[in-house]
Amino acid sequence: MGLSTQIERPIQPPVTKGMENINRYWDRTMGVWAAKILPGELYVSAHGEMIVTVLGSCVAACIRDRVRGIGGMNHFMLPQANSTSNHWADALETRYGNWAMEFLINEILKLGGRKENLEVKLFGGGQILENMTDVGARNVEFVREYLKREGLRVEAEDLLGVRPRKVLYFSDTGSVKVRRLNQVSNTTVVDRERAYAKQVTTSDTDGSIELF
Amino acid sequence: MSKILAVDDSASMRQMISFTLKSAGFDVVEAADGIEGLNQAQQHKCDLVLSDVNMPNMDGITMTRELRGLPDYKYTPILMLTTESGGDKKSEGKNAGATGWIVKPFKPDQLLNTIKKVLG
Repeated sequence: MGLSTQIERPIQPPVTKGMENINRYWDRTMGVWAAKILPGELYVSAHGEMIVTVLGSCVAACIRDRVRGIGGMNHFMLPQANSTSNHWADALETRYGNWAMEFLINEILKLGGRKENLEVKLFGGGQILENMTDVGARNVEFVREYLKREGLRVEAEDLLGVRPRKVLYFSDTGSVKVRRLNQVSNTTVVDRERAYAKQVTTSDTDGSIELF
Repeated sequence: MSKILAVDDSASMRQMISFTLKSAGFDVVEAADGIEGLNQAQQHKCDLVLSDVNMPNMDGITMTRELRGLPDYKYTPILMLTTESGGDKKSEGKNAGATGWIVKPFKPDQLLNTIKKVLG
């Protein structure tokens, strides 16, 4: 065996229950186990994984129990506003945002986090889709209002602007790296967000209902 | 006019549910956890209960079980509104006496149609 500068790869932490569909991998650059989330997904870890996402006009909330080091990230946008209402109580418009925020907080609490220890950081909400100019700002306004109502303070943020962002979040320490991406070369971000925007605006499949 | 008890620890969810129900002509009573829910249920005679599952102090499943022990709420429809789509929690809810299980995110129309269905 020769000398090796390669970081010893620890065993991959167990996946959080219910999040088996999330893409998890060994990140060679950072030398950490990572999880990459797409629009509409979220991931929570009690084992200090790096959570990665790329944001255009979508917003990602990174939330963590700062005492226990249990944290996670969501990635969402609101459906396009219907003409008659722009009220934050409108269930049709806010359902995905409310769901993404509540789901993230619930999963952290289920893993042993406590509400009074929660630390919130916000990213995204850029203006990158030409035909949907106010989408990013609207997502930002929604998430700020949501957190205010829930009594949660925002500790750090990097929001709005015109460039997509790649966000690396360390779920145990709460440390974040944000890289601004070149707008023109990132058609993948735009394409994914367009598809997601269409899905949240027109979807009829959400909200499974069962009567016993 | 039917009166609905909406129990959720999230202020945003309560606001959204109340708005949806009031727009459809229902009377709404709110509570932020299971204990508050039980108190409200005893103070107001509600025709239907909508409850979140994961809440501090008393969760929605425990509250449902408690409600079923009260003579006034033995047969009242209780719908769970939750982010939990897993079968385990759902069976727990069913065993506790819940009438139905709605997974978030839901559309307002889906919620209202289900309410109308169970109110008969």
